Amino acid sequence: MKSFLRFFCVSLAIASAFSPAIASANVPAPLTWEASPPTDSRAAFVEWMVANRGEDAKYLGQRWDRYIIMQRNHDLLDEKNARAYLLTPREEFVLKQNLPRAYDHAFLDIGYGVTISGPHVVGRMTSSLNIKQGEKVLEVGTGSGYQSAYLAHLTDKVWSIEIIKPIATRTRAVYDDLIARGYSEFKAINTKQADGYYGWEEAAPFDKIIVTCGIDHIPPALLQQLKVGGVMVIPVGPPGAQHILKVTKEANPDGTIKITRSDIYNGKIVPFVPFTKLEGDDIKGSHNK
Amino acid sequence: MISEIKERLEEPGLDEPGAGDITHGVRTSTGEEWSQAGIRQFLLYAAVGCVAGAVIALQIAIMRIFSVGSWAHFGSLVVSLAMLGFGLTSAVMCMARHWFERHWFVVIACSLAGVAPLVVGCNLLAQQLPFNPIFLVSDPTQKWRLLGNFSLYLLPFLAGSFFLGTVFLRAKKVFGRVYFADLLGSGLCGLLTLGSLFLFHPDNLMLVPVVLAGIGGVLWFAGLGSVRGAVLIALVALASAAAHLWLPEKLHAAKLSVSDYKGVSYARKFPDSQRIYQNVSPFGLLEVYGSSYLHFAPGLSDNASLNLASMPVNAYLGLYIDGDGPIGIMRDLPEDQTAYFKYLPMVYPYLIKSQAKTFIVQFGGGISTSVALHSDAQSVTVGESNPAFLKAFRENAELKAFTGDLLHHPKVKVINYDGRLFLANTQERYDVIDLSLADSAGLSNPGGFAIVEKYSYTQEAMQNYMRALNEGGVLAVTLWNKEEPPKSVLKLYATLAAAARANGEQDISRSFFVASSYLSTVTVLYQRGGFTEPQLAILRQHTSAMSFDEIYSPGFAIDGDQVSKVFDEFRESIFSSADTEPQTHAGEDNDPSLGQAGDSVADISEPDLEMAGDTAAQTVPATQLSRLAWQALVNNDWQGFSKRYLFDVQPLTNNHPYFAAYVHPSDLPKVVDRLELFQDEWGYLLLWATLAIACAAGLLLISIPVVFGWRMIFQHYPGKRETILYFACLGFGYIVVEVGLIAHFIEALANATVSASVLITGMLVFSGLGSFVSERYLPRARAIMPRVFLAIGALLIAYGFLLSPVLNMIGHLDYAWRLLCCFVLIAPPAFLMGFPMATGMGILTHLHKDPMFLWAWGVNGCFSVIGAALVPIIATSFGLTAVLAIAGAVYLLATPAFFGLLKPVNNKLVR
Repeated sequence: MKSFLRFFCVSLAIASAFSPAIASANVPAPLTWEASPPTDSRAAFVEWMVANRGEDAKYLGQRWDRYIIMQRNHDLLDEKNARAYLLTPREEFVLKQNLPRAYDHAFLDIGYGVTISGPHVVGRMTSSLNIKQGEKVLEVGTGSGYQSAYLAHLTDKVWSIEIIKPIATRTRAVYDDLIARGYSEFKAINTKQADGYYGWEEAAPFDKIIVTCGIDHIPPALLQQLKVGGVMVIPVGPPGAQHILKVTKEANPDGTIKITRSDIYNGKIVPFVPFTKLEGDDIKGSHNK
Repeated sequence: MISEIKERLEEPGLDEPGAGDITHGVRTSTGEEWSQAGIRQFLLYAAVGCVAGAVIALQIAIMRIFSVGSWAHFGSLVVSLAMLGFGLTSAVMCMARHWFERHWFVVIACSLAGVAPLVVGCNLLAQQLPFNPIFLVSDPTQKWRLLGNFSLYLLPFLAGSFFLGTVFLRAKKVFGRVYFADLLGSGLCGLLTLGSLFLFHPDNLMLVPVVLAGIGGVLWFAGLGSVRGAVLIALVALASAAAHLWLPEKLHAAKLSVSDYKGVSYARKFPDSQRIYQNVSPFGLLEVYGSSYLHFAPGLSDNASLNLASMPVNAYLGLYIDGDGPIGIMRDLPEDQTAYFKYLPMVYPYLIKSQAKTFIVQFGGGISTSVALHSDAQSVTVGESNPAFLKAFRENAELKAFTGDLLHHPKVKVINYDGRLFLANTQERYDVIDLSLADSAGLSNPGGFAIVEKYSYTQEAMQNYMRALNEGGVLAVTLWNKEEPPKSVLKLYATLAAAARANGEQDISRSFFVASSYLSTVTVLYQRGGFTEPQLAILRQHTSAMSFDEIYSPGFAIDGDQVSKVFDEFRESIFSSADTEPQTHAGEDNDPSLGQAGDSVADISEPDLEMAGDTAAQTVPATQLSRLAWQALVNNDWQGFSKRYLFDVQPLTNNHPYFAAYVHPSDLPKVVDRLELFQDEWGYLLLWATLAIACAAGLLLISIPVVFGWRMIFQHYPGKRETILYFACLGFGYIVVEVGLIAHFIEALANATVSASVLITGMLVFSGLGSFVSERYLPRARAIMPRVFLAIGALLIAYGFLLSPVLNMIGHLDYAWRLLCCFVLIAPPAFLMGFPMATGMGILTHLHKDPMFLWAWGVNGCFSVIGAALVPIIATSFGLTAVLAIAGAVYLLATPAFFGLLKPVNNKLVR
């Protein structure tokens, strides 16, 4: 009885922490790869998303506003990434107390010492991978689940590993709930709780790998599970000012393998952009001011 | 309860000397309890000492709690918090002096009864209000949480300072002795608290101030002859201690909340995690966790994946100090599992040195020692400054078994103190000296770093390492290279080059070889006598085989055309303004430009940020910059380089031992709107914020009495400005010396907590003695004090210049001798610095400047807050010598102010 009560309380706590998932309406129809929301105006985007995805207009408005800023800051580098960003309901992956800041230019706490990266980081990092439909992508560090959800709008083959068991369980429950509500694209996400250091050997090799947890070296197993011609990205540095290390694995003309480190801009120095915010319709300098 | 005690106090015959006046049922005569004879008077002095000691113990306990629970840097602000308590108290008491004089008994009783419950209650509440420094900029609620924490912890300090303030008010005539008791008690209890760090887990350290406050209260009431009061205070303290021990468990509330973002919190979450060792000491809370999820191979070459089938499993333990880390402890691996060692950067010196006689400057988790032993070193001598490390590795059976009893390996010899200090004083010479990722946790943790002294990396330390090499010997220094734009590594390069030149090498071009891995590690090799061509060929071949970047080697050619571009782009990357770009509009309904938004979707793949698909190998700017840095160093043009670079990258010296304060002060205004980019500098930026708050709070508190009508009374007293200046100089000067010397003495004591405790104890005890002795010179103060100030000023300025070599010299002595030497060094200035405060307050009393008495105490406290905040800024900007020199100058400035203090009161006006 006691353990049942405890289970009930924990379930209740998880449910209340992610309450928007319960409050939102179901998705009217499964998403197809051809479907894409309009990007010519805020109103058209919101209208299309409400009609086709059944999402809350308030968050859709915020998503659009952030989209405009991300475009300006070159965080989304092509149409498929723009589509992936616009289709991913970030509000489903943040804690209840952070809902008002779900689309802020900021990383947010998701408990257990883990953060959900800001939308701009996810956009930049994923854009840099140039993921094509059908490519196999491994994510090490599921965390909130937002990154994999974004990936699921780029390819139908996503594997994600989380080391912290309660997070792995919670995020799996979020996906299951979203799938039950009609987000059929999230069926493409395979998850497991395990030590990501060893990769996911049964599913290897991968075209692209995203590592979202800190480590003092790149695990050799991950490099081994990366296809020749594949790309791996790893954010390095403090959460607010991360540089994204890009590791490529290529074949030399003599057949030997070459592994190269660079950043995602191939050496170009790109200005950091201070936290930006919207005031009315205008993008203003910073949240710190 | 209080009324009962008052009644008891008012019983006839309770106080021997003087009957005292009774007004409104409360004693108002000044200080008759301080005229008692014998044991009772001693008990009162002891009570003052204990309560003052409780305040010191509380400061140390809060520092430890912040250090273990979240971010050590906030803990160091506690000194300012305590001083703020004194300033606030004096402001309030100054405004309502007569009320406090009338109700002194109630105030003291309430303060004594309040300290222990407030310590326990406020700590418990503060721990339920966790804040996270990494969200300080992005989450507005974090600022309020931090404010909540500081406000709660301020309350017990207020209780303590109301007690001390009221005692000072009552004991004006014997101020010198009470002040002596205050300082002596603070000092001895500081030492006691240091000892208690061996016994108490950090979450129970709050018991020390609780017990001390309880003892203080009991002694006070015993001194007044009130048994009932003593018993009640004892019961309150015991109940508080019991509440601290049992209440959190009953309420399921933590008495020390450890942030989820501390390294140890992750280890605790691994499914198979188990703690296999724990030890508490002044050297930190040391914990060792085991888990198959722990992996260490700092700086491992990516090419390991091409040649190694697998990495060893369950090969590491994670060592955490105050929850920070992990530092990897290596399992004693069989030879066939150590193949990955050759992919680590620590292996570099052994490529060209076989059968090496090796010295490891800092043992840490033992990775460098393991690499040396597996690289066929002839002998390995390891230094380790943290005795808790050595105790763990020598005494814990599980750790011994795991590491193959590494410290008792036949080839290993252990130096029980800092390797830096050993090498500074030894005649031994070595083939390889290794300083690899020492203090790795401190340099690798994401998030803000506290400003800590890194004496192992200073120019003087590097000179000693280089001198301790055999001819042809190699010094290998590996550092994390995870900053972009680079900062720490540039300081390291400059320091090593400066050390070689300071050792007499005019041409350093053949002495260095540098390799790095982008956003991983950098290794600098220095060879005494210069590298030979065959050696360089081996090093270059290995660098290429590991896919590391060659940063510098003799003859390395650099394209100088890109210099300006690299500097400009790095500056632009940090200080460019988003506002300079065209504005994009976000709303459609009222703005015709929305079409542009849609259009820009089509434009976003434009080539200005071409990324995906282009895999052409390019040199990243950070690597280019490092190469340019070495070109400048070899050409002896570091000044030219550092002037053009956006950060301060001057070498580390014993005077300036910081991997911090990279932002030029002139750039600080530009940092404000992009704080998130400077997260690793938050410790430094917080200093400026603290200084601003300290100045504002200090000036506010000083001005309160003036604003609330005290100007009318003060104006009757001559020498007001000089009085303010005098006590401001004392408050500022004293704390600057104390905090500055703590940073200095780490050079010999190799531990910040021990250094802080030694300084707090030494300064307060010797100053207490000084204040006690000063009483007999009060009649001759006009003649004596200028000499005292002159002596203090001269001593401090001399210490600024001479202390560092002396501390280095005593560094090789046994720890007990080092402690003794430190106390001897502290004694002369501290003793003299005890004179001015006691003398100044004595003069105010003798000249009947009563209203100024409390105000002077408050001015002293407020300028202590400002001084404590200013020290690290002076140290990082101008060096530790400047800290002591400024303190010396401030004491000299107090000399003319002292004569203003002596101006007599115009009695007609006062009346």
